[in-house]
Amino acid sequence: MEIVEVVRAGGKPFKRAYVSIFLWFTGRAIQAAAKVDEQVRREFNSLPDDFTFSLGVLPDGPWMVIGREKGQVKYLGGDPEGRHLHVRLAMKNIETAFLILSFRESTALATARNRLITEGEVPQALAMIRVMDIVEVYLLPKMIARLAVKRYPSWTPGRKFFGRIGIYSRAMLGI
Amino acid sequence: MNSDSCFTFTCPVKTNSGNIALENLPVELSGLNAGKPLVVTNIAKVGRKAVRTLTGAFGDSGMSLGVFDSLGDKVDPALIEQLRTTFIEEEYDSIIALGGGTIVDSAKILNLTVSLKITDVRNLSAQTPVNRNLLPLVVVPTADATGLETAQFARLNGAVLSSEYLAPVLVVIDPRLTRGKDVKTIYATGLAALGRALESHIIAKENPFRQAYSFAAIRFIRDNLPAAVRNPDDKKTTLAVINAAVMSGCAFSGTEARPLHKLGQVFQEMLKIHPGIIMGMCLPHILDDYLHRDGNGLASLLHPLTGDEEFAQTPEAQRAGAAVSVLHRFMADLHSALGKDVPQTLREAGVPLYAIEDIFEVLDVDPNGVYLRSVVERIRDKTPMAEKKG
Repeated sequence: MEIVEVVRAGGKPFKRAYVSIFLWFTGRAIQAAAKVDEQVRREFNSLPDDFTFSLGVLPDGPWMVIGREKGQVKYLGGDPEGRHLHVRLAMKNIETAFLILSFRESTALATARNRLITEGEVPQALAMIRVMDIVEVYLLPKMIARLAVKRYPSWTPGRKFFGRIGIYSRAMLGI
Repeated sequence: MNSDSCFTFTCPVKTNSGNIALENLPVELSGLNAGKPLVVTNIAKVGRKAVRTLTGAFGDSGMSLGVFDSLGDKVDPALIEQLRTTFIEEEYDSIIALGGGTIVDSAKILNLTVSLKITDVRNLSAQTPVNRNLLPLVVVPTADATGLETAQFARLNGAVLSSEYLAPVLVVIDPRLTRGKDVKTIYATGLAALGRALESHIIAKENPFRQAYSFAAIRFIRDNLPAAVRNPDDKKTTLAVINAAVMSGCAFSGTEARPLHKLGQVFQEMLKIHPGIIMGMCLPHILDDYLHRDGNGLASLLHPLTGDEEFAQTPEAQRAGAAVSVLHRFMADLHSALGKDVPQTLREAGVPLYAIEDIFEVLDVDPNGVYLRSVVERIRDKTPMAEKKG
């Protein structure tokens, strides 16, 4: 008689789909922001020429990969397999990812609560966190962005308005 | 604290605590090179919801786990042997104990048998050498933890096995599982944690590492237990109480058993009364006795029990007495908030006279038996307050 019941871990399809779409769109938005925003461009210029970064969820993704190719910042898809990564930011599980990416916990707070694993140089990881904060400010309404970033920046209305149009349109078109 | 004194301290326990801490289990297990855990628990004690919460936390990890939810109220050697066979045949590589007390003792003994390839559990005794790393053992404590879950001890029907390798490598404290079923449960857990932390703190004068754990455990209890007993459903305060229990186990590990702990254990083993209930009854008596004997270590209790200001303002010679007064007030406040919900004497706890005689027989074997006996006499039918008046 079997005394131990075998339980297979179920899936979390809704949360996984949400995180996948979020990472896909954020990846394209970072690529767009590097062309539109001067501060994002400066952050990337301070990184190595072949810099590659990934953000995703342990153990099996989803992931997004961002890299510099010939001086251009590119969204390199959702598969980090086989790539040399300079920095990898991994959220420990899909629940954590959902918590952070649904803005119920800011990146800074999640880091303080040890919800993220950072592999690579810390200054480079911090540069990427700053880039993601800027992108979130562009993409999200102020009310939500304030929950996601440590400190909401005081930008001119022009920077925010035109930047937002530029980033959204480029992210949609993938350019 | 004397910085050049000699001391040793081992605490191999990593702690994951807080909101959605359980969901970290897959990544923590893979860090321990484990991917197929066996969950052992007692569903009658922890409830079906707790088991579902634990297995649900593995969602999206792709792992499969074994669940055995029928552990009894004591460590059953025959059952452990059965589980050992299943563990080896089904190639499990780690153990997760969901719950506290004997559930964790069973998990520790199971871990010992599968790691050291021991076939007959009845051969295990306090003399069994445990001198190498065992398989990863994870403890997920619930509201009825005793604090000994994180200690380096495992109890097997009277025998106490002791080795630093018996301690779990990971403890995961999640607020979804720490809420108390009732006032009595969270009170007992808090008092067990307080009792062990106090006894560890008194003797930790020369050991700053132990002192750090006991200090934090006492503070957590002082700040959170009164609110937790008023509302055992409160996530924040019950989480803090379980954290204190975990810390008290770490502080207590490697120390000599003291009267409060001994009395709690005897009653738990013989009458299945939570050690915290007994420790709560004995605490005021034992502290008074410490104070009248020498009171030396008691002075150090004042700092965690009050705060920087009150500690600094109290002259050194009066600190021991002040600490005992604070504790008496703390206990009296707890009892007045709880009313008749928790027993304050053995009579209220429903302990029959013949059972007390059996307890005396066991205590007489202890080198400190005469004293322990005298404490039991005092908690038989009088509360500390009634005794003072009488």
